[in-house]
Amino acid sequence: MADIAYEGGALSATETVDRAKVLRRLRLGDSAFRHITRVAAISVLIILSGIILSLVYGAWPAMQTFGISFLFDESWNPVTERFGAIAPIYGTVLTSLIAMLIAVPIGLFIALFLTELCPMWLRRPIGVAIELLAGIPSIIYGIWGLFVFAPFLQQHVQPFLIDLFGPIPILNNLFAGPPYGIGILTAGLILAIMVLPFITSISRDVFEAVPPVLKEAAYGLGCTTWEVARYVVLPYTRVGVIGGVMLGLGRALGETMAVTFVIGNAHRISGSILAPGTTISATIANEFTEAVGDIYTSSLIMLGLILFCITFIVLAFARLMLMRLNARVGA
Amino acid sequence: MNSVASFTVPSVTHAAVNAGDLTDKVTIRNLDFFYGDNRALKDINVSLYNGKVTAFIGPSGCGKSTLLRVLNRMYDLYPNQRATGDVSLDNENILDPAQDLNLLRAKVGMVFQKPTPFPMTIYENIAFGIRLYEKLPKSELDGRVQRALERAALWNEVKDKLGANGQSLSGGQQQRLCIARTVAVRPEVILLDEPCSALDPISTAKIEELIDELKEDYTLVIVTHNMQQAARVSDYTAFMYLGELVEFGETAKIFTKPDDRRTQDYITGRFG
Repeated sequence: MADIAYEGGALSATETVDRAKVLRRLRLGDSAFRHITRVAAISVLIILSGIILSLVYGAWPAMQTFGISFLFDESWNPVTERFGAIAPIYGTVLTSLIAMLIAVPIGLFIALFLTELCPMWLRRPIGVAIELLAGIPSIIYGIWGLFVFAPFLQQHVQPFLIDLFGPIPILNNLFAGPPYGIGILTAGLILAIMVLPFITSISRDVFEAVPPVLKEAAYGLGCTTWEVARYVVLPYTRVGVIGGVMLGLGRALGETMAVTFVIGNAHRISGSILAPGTTISATIANEFTEAVGDIYTSSLIMLGLILFCITFIVLAFARLMLMRLNARVGA
Repeated sequence: MNSVASFTVPSVTHAAVNAGDLTDKVTIRNLDFFYGDNRALKDINVSLYNGKVTAFIGPSGCGKSTLLRVLNRMYDLYPNQRATGDVSLDNENILDPAQDLNLLRAKVGMVFQKPTPFPMTIYENIAFGIRLYEKLPKSELDGRVQRALERAALWNEVKDKLGANGQSLSGGQQQRLCIARTVAVRPEVILLDEPCSALDPISTAKIEELIDELKEDYTLVIVTHNMQQAARVSDYTAFMYLGELVEFGETAKIFTKPDDRRTQDYITGRFG
């Protein structure tokens, strides 16, 4: 305390005491603040490990019964109680992949248009439209997908795709079979629409954070808008853009309601993306109420644990990609 | 508004120069510039001579940087900014709406107040600009990158870490990297917008030395707040005040016996 009042006799004895009191109170407040933030941070770890533990506990009977083969078995038979996860894993990964293939480029292009090219008066309407798209509940996407979008695909798009790729080897397998309307492709397209706003709005925010002088420097060399976007804006914002893409991917992997409506809920793997399939979250949502046996319930929980692991792997993959990008720019 | 009008100078005083070996690289005639309705440049008339360094001095907000941004039409990036009048580069009006901006900016390079290395490696920072215009084999590109870095007196400091990120360099090195990048695309005019204001004295000295060397090949225009710097590096100096070009002439004359009272007051530090 002495060092507070060290400067000359300006402070009387009582004033010194008062300051000491105030400082003590402040220090108390500060240490309370420190503890509260720490507890808040630790609670995340506790909740996370609690979820993992309960998933593992719930999945234990299925793990013991099926072992590692659970991951590769295609059958899903509640009557004989034989379950395998490969079909829903396949559906989950493939629908998300289709969604990202479509939504990432479109989302980035929208964001680049909004930040680099769009006239001022058009920025706000498009921005608001994107935010509204993000606000639509997934059940709406589900019924729209089932009653409007799927029939449209069935009548107009899928026959065209089948005809178009029919004569091309490999691709004709991908687009084979009768046009059901519902199926893996439809689910992927719905997911693409759903994750588009996330990718767009996050990309737009990070693109706006690029210092104008950096863009001017690139334009000053004679760059076109595309070159500025490709070689300056995107590399500068790579961390944020990948963050936005991963957020979108996380949503695509876990999305339940809309996918359940349009994917067809068939536990099988088909080479064609027009065929019905299922995803992990759709399977769980559909079957939890009717899962009577212990092994059945346990297998569904096991699916949840697998989805958890997939998300984890995706995040790790994002880190890896970021590290490689950083290495390329010498950072 | 009217107070400004009553304050106008009769005409811009051009210093008497032996016009024999001076050719106009850039000729600015009756240039007005507007930010929306705000007239930031008022009837500017000035010539930038080939192979010379011209400095623009004046208090903040006098329009120096605005003038610079007209010369490569950087203002075009922003809505509501427009220039009227006539600015010709080698007798070609660059304010013409049909002017190819990418081509213009390849001819008129710019270095900014803050160093602006691109988010890529040191090598790529230089090679990037070259690749925009020329497709060169790797070995030739390497040579061009090296010469640009040598030109900017940076080669010895970075030759062992060309793969490091441009942003990992110090501020002074970054600024020289930006100069190297500008030089690498072989412009004809280089605009320097307060290139040393964010740098320490040693880096500043290096850049001033560089400007001196560059004027052998380029026409340079420098905007600066530092009057000593203008006196050191430039051949010609223009003093601007409130959007007007008050006086233009040989640097030695502007700094020793300016014609206009306001120039005198500014360079002696009586207002600013």
